[in-house]
Amino acid sequence: MELLFWTSAALIAYVYVGYPLLLAAWARMAPRPPKKYQFPAGHWPSLSIILAARNERSRLPVRVANLLTLPYDGPRELIVVSDGSTDGTAEAVAPFASRNEIRFVEVPAGGKPLALNAGVAIATGNILVFADARQRFTGGALSALVSNFADPEVGAVTGELILDCESGSSASSIGDGVGAYWKYEKWLRRNESLVRSTLGATGAIYALRRSLWRPLPAGTLLDDVLAPMRAVLGGWRVVFEDQAVAMDRTAPDAAAEARRKRRTLAGNYQILAQEPRLLLPIVNPVWLQYMSHKVGRLIVPWALVALLVSSVALTREGWLYSLALTAQAGFYALAAFGAWLEARDRQTGRRFATKLPVAIGKEAR
Amino acid sequence: MVYRVARVAFTFVMMNLAAVTGLFSLRRGPEVWK
Repeated sequence: MELLFWTSAALIAYVYVGYPLLLAAWARMAPRPPKKYQFPAGHWPSLSIILAARNERSRLPVRVANLLTLPYDGPRELIVVSDGSTDGTAEAVAPFASRNEIRFVEVPAGGKPLALNAGVAIATGNILVFADARQRFTGGALSALVSNFADPEVGAVTGELILDCESGSSASSIGDGVGAYWKYEKWLRRNESLVRSTLGATGAIYALRRSLWRPLPAGTLLDDVLAPMRAVLGGWRVVFEDQAVAMDRTAPDAAAEARRKRRTLAGNYQILAQEPRLLLPIVNPVWLQYMSHKVGRLIVPWALVALLVSSVALTREGWLYSLALTAQAGFYALAAFGAWLEARDRQTGRRFATKLPVAIGKEAR
Repeated sequence: MVYRVARVAFTFVMMNLAAVTGLFSLRRGPEVWK
């Protein structure tokens, strides 16, 4: 039981404290920033922006306009793939039909990975840029993404997704927690990029050399992890570009965020089945980071349970175990209080009422 | 401050629960994600 206690404690401490410290030291001592280059006008690589959408009629006009008007000094095409939409998505794209850069494809409902496959199959650009319907890219996003491809080692580039909760302007009842988590996660990605590669990309904004694309299996949950990690396994780098920004809103409440996280973490399990090579240190050039960051997140929940159980069993064996149990009890009591706060905010809408003036105040400045 | 820490602690627990339920939802098939 003591072995279980110490193993669990060490694993949790390594994933959330040890690994970040190791990564920070590594990134500081041996940084490898990509060799970015601002291509001369007229020499920027051709882009194919792929946007898979299902029943996004209300969002598409603004989103298509956003993607077509972003500054970029090279050829681009926008491929909108309707994944079995039944809301007249085609009509939302129709006003743009006269523009040569836009192409519209309709496929039977098969899920996002098959829609992306269909879009990439007709793409002609050297660089694929993946986007979703809900977010917005900021002005220099495309140029910032593509400038990284001047480095011949870079196979994919992930942009930065900024959530409204990070600035405190979200009406979400789970905004504080998600904002803190997302900032921490992006800090890890930034440093992993400096060391060698991020462990995937952000689905809302990432780019990949078209030559590296392999069709996604149906049912793939995390196209934005599978496609970049295949590039990493092929010896390419995937880098984080914080000047390429997509803006998004936070999930409205804990239930919605839990669904999203469940899907993401299920996807992390799925990828281990799709690409078991990721578990082999001789094949995966970012094995240590992958095990510490991605696999570690899958193991920590079980380690938390093991730590709690072993602490209860050992509490009479010494003050240290009693202290550990007390600390865990305090932490879970705090989390329960947080759950109560979230439920209260969700029911009363109080958080929205208290946050909105802050948001307006920031806009006014 | 306590409120903020409590919200972060809740999010941490929720995310770890999601890792467990994610494993079981993977076994149940893709319909649970839609």
